[in-house]
Amino acid sequence: MSPPAPPLVVVKGLVKRYPGVVALDHAEWAIAAGEVLGLVGKNGAGKSTLIKILAGATQPDEGEILIGGEPTHIHSPRQATKLGLSFVHQELADVPNLTVAENVELGLGYPKRLGVFLDRRRLRAKVRALLDRLGEEGIDPKARVDDLSVAHQRMVVIARGMAAEARLLVLDEPSASLSNEEIEQLHRVVRGLAEGGVGIVYVTHRLDEIFQITDRVSVMRDGKVVLSCPTDDLNKASLIAHITGSAEVAPEKRDRAVLTAERGEELLRVEGVTLPGVVEDVSFDVRAGELLGIAGLVGSGRTELVRLIVGADHRAAGRILVRGRDVRISSPSDSRRHGIVLLPEDRRRQGAVLDFSVRKNITLPVLPSFRPTRAVPLPQVRRERASARDMVSRLGIVAAGIEQPVRYLSGGNQQKVVLAKWLESGADVFIFDEPTHGIDVEGKDEVYRLMEELALAGRAVIFISSEFTELVGACNRVLVMREGRLVGELDGDDVTDQALVERCYADAAA
Amino acid sequence: MNRAASAPGAEPSEGAAAAAARRREMVDRLNSILARYGLLVAFAVMILAFSLAKPDSFPTWDNTKSILTAAAPALIVAAGLTVPLVMQDFDLSFGSMIGLAGGAAVVLMSEDNWAWPAAAIVALALGLAVGLANGFLISYLGGSSFIITLAMGTVLVGLEYVFTDQETIFSGVAQGYIDIGQGEFLGLNNQIWIAAGIAIILWVLLDKSEVGRYMYAIGGNPEAARLSGVRIRRIRLTGFVIVAVCAAIVGILLTAQAASSVPNTGVPYLLPAFAAVFLGSAVFRPGEFNIPGTVVGVLFLGVIQTGLTMLQLETYVINLVQGAILIVAVLVSQLGQRAA
Repeated sequence: MSPPAPPLVVVKGLVKRYPGVVALDHAEWAIAAGEVLGLVGKNGAGKSTLIKILAGATQPDEGEILIGGEPTHIHSPRQATKLGLSFVHQELADVPNLTVAENVELGLGYPKRLGVFLDRRRLRAKVRALLDRLGEEGIDPKARVDDLSVAHQRMVVIARGMAAEARLLVLDEPSASLSNEEIEQLHRVVRGLAEGGVGIVYVTHRLDEIFQITDRVSVMRDGKVVLSCPTDDLNKASLIAHITGSAEVAPEKRDRAVLTAERGEELLRVEGVTLPGVVEDVSFDVRAGELLGIAGLVGSGRTELVRLIVGADHRAAGRILVRGRDVRISSPSDSRRHGIVLLPEDRRRQGAVLDFSVRKNITLPVLPSFRPTRAVPLPQVRRERASARDMVSRLGIVAAGIEQPVRYLSGGNQQKVVLAKWLESGADVFIFDEPTHGIDVEGKDEVYRLMEELALAGRAVIFISSEFTELVGACNRVLVMREGRLVGELDGDDVTDQALVERCYADAAA
Repeated sequence: MNRAASAPGAEPSEGAAAAAARRREMVDRLNSILARYGLLVAFAVMILAFSLAKPDSFPTWDNTKSILTAAAPALIVAAGLTVPLVMQDFDLSFGSMIGLAGGAAVVLMSEDNWAWPAAAIVALALGLAVGLANGFLISYLGGSSFIITLAMGTVLVGLEYVFTDQETIFSGVAQGYIDIGQGEFLGLNNQIWIAAGIAIILWVLLDKSEVGRYMYAIGGNPEAARLSGVRIRRIRLTGFVIVAVCAAIVGILLTAQAASSVPNTGVPYLLPAFAAVFLGSAVFRPGEFNIPGTVVGVLFLGVIQTGLTMLQLETYVINLVQGAILIVAVLVSQLGQRAA
């Protein structure tokens, strides 16, 4: 039964403690060369910690790592690179103002002329060849990385791993915010690399992907690797059961019947919102009790549209009407005053104050509600604590306590804190931009339930997602955006995966 | 502890692991205590050392009063400076602001025969105006706080010279004005009470109030704060106004105490204020600028200054020792911080 080749990486009895939590609890794990291994588990199960240790970003308290059979101590990211371990993190790690070629070869020693001057031509040729091998003929080595799409930026990081002759490639949520087509291309690249003998760790919360791409699955729970087996031995239901640790299986589709009631009062109307080249003349309305989806590929202008609505960016044209009244919204604080809040997509950059505690993050948008009396702007910490504790338990946020800095929470728990911030804001219109991005199975369900509760309580909810199945499951009406324009609207039973895919790709495919 | 872990009879692996964990916990706790209170310990040791070296002159009530009086203006600007620093904004203009405010007030009294309260109010108004100008240029027009306030400092020195012609003015300073800086209340110089009052107000502002929470949020993640509905431009502007008004108060206090105006009196306060605030960020809440920390930082620097002077060392020795103590103090607290 033992594989012929020695395993690429073996992890034995790995333990990592953080103040108040055991992130890894004697984890045992291995990956062979040439296999695609899916690494799954709930937020805080220990996936990120395991990856950080392999990347040399943090040191284990106990345990051993064998690379190619040799006990190895990975003390720095630089050494991890030397050992042939390469990482594509969720938050992109490119230097945005450098070109693709400069990023790919960063830290690997650029080709030089006369030993000093950067030889751009050779650098570009080298990177061109590398990108061609990945099947990414469309990426220009001369382009600045911040001009690329998210999918292409991720490819640049993968190319960097290849340039460093990686033997192990760890992809942390590589398909997040990618379109279906981009995901297919990603899968092709991953397959190609595995056939070339690279071991691939594929971390994802999208279980469909696990069955599409992986050879084997490792499930983590509470800091332990609780299962490692061939993917074919599992089905979606049994995988979910292993992830959650309970026998009960999450429902495949949620019942939306409650939300199909007649439409209520119009809470928000948007007319002719425009930012030239990004969002073109978008108009729509959303009513009380409605859960309105906005579908679209990354780059279709969804995020940009809602940022214009809440005044985070300046619109060139367009009116915003709240309950039928024309209002002036030129900053997020104006928008907040008119009862419209945005829960942004990029939690680390826009959502959370990482050095603030869970409590201070949660109460930030609603701080005035903790005044002892209306005229005294000194928040009462005791009431803040009660409110934060309530949120933590409602959303199942895993933290050492409400005074723990958000920086130390896992990615999904950070996202939950960002959601929690807004729920008590008393707003009428909630805009959720990719709220389930990076959240585990149970957490996703909780987010859907929260949005549903808000709608049932007479609020209007706008739900942006690139996972069409979630929109189909959650929304009673879905708008489709493509290239900055509204190109379709689906209602009730017409909201299907198929219909959304068709409308999102309609012209792009032609 | 080592002996206990390897004692015969104990399960070797489990016992050792538990002991290692306990040891690690203790090291962590020690480090975090060091980070939080290292500066306080150093402060106490220093006081003790100076007291032993100069038992007749250092640990006396008179000396304590004189250290506190000298530290008062430094505390006022350092506490004011803490506010923009919390938001990651620098102010390098407050040194010149001190000179401008003091110079203007004295000139108005001595040459234009203004009543002293009016002169003092003009000085404060100048502080308000300069703070608004800094804040507008930086938070509304997007200038870099470092460069804008550096340039503003030069402008303010120029304005001061417009008032004073770069001359020292001794005459015509009203007695009421002089009393602000020289008078006493309950046995302590007025400046000490004023400094304490300002420190308490700014402590409540930063640590207890909504605006203070917003200020720390802006310092931590301005974009998240903005999307949370925090009016970041207005609040950043407030920070510059606070430090400039504090500087104007110090300008008044210094000229009142000296009963005269000397050109460019404020600039020597610039670097010690930064030093005090950064030192203070190593106490109580490591890594965060905070008012109680700033108070400790100012007193620490004040005690070093006085103590070393009393030892009658050469000036260059005082400079060397003072610099070295600062470097060591900051490093020690940051080492602990990294471990914690």
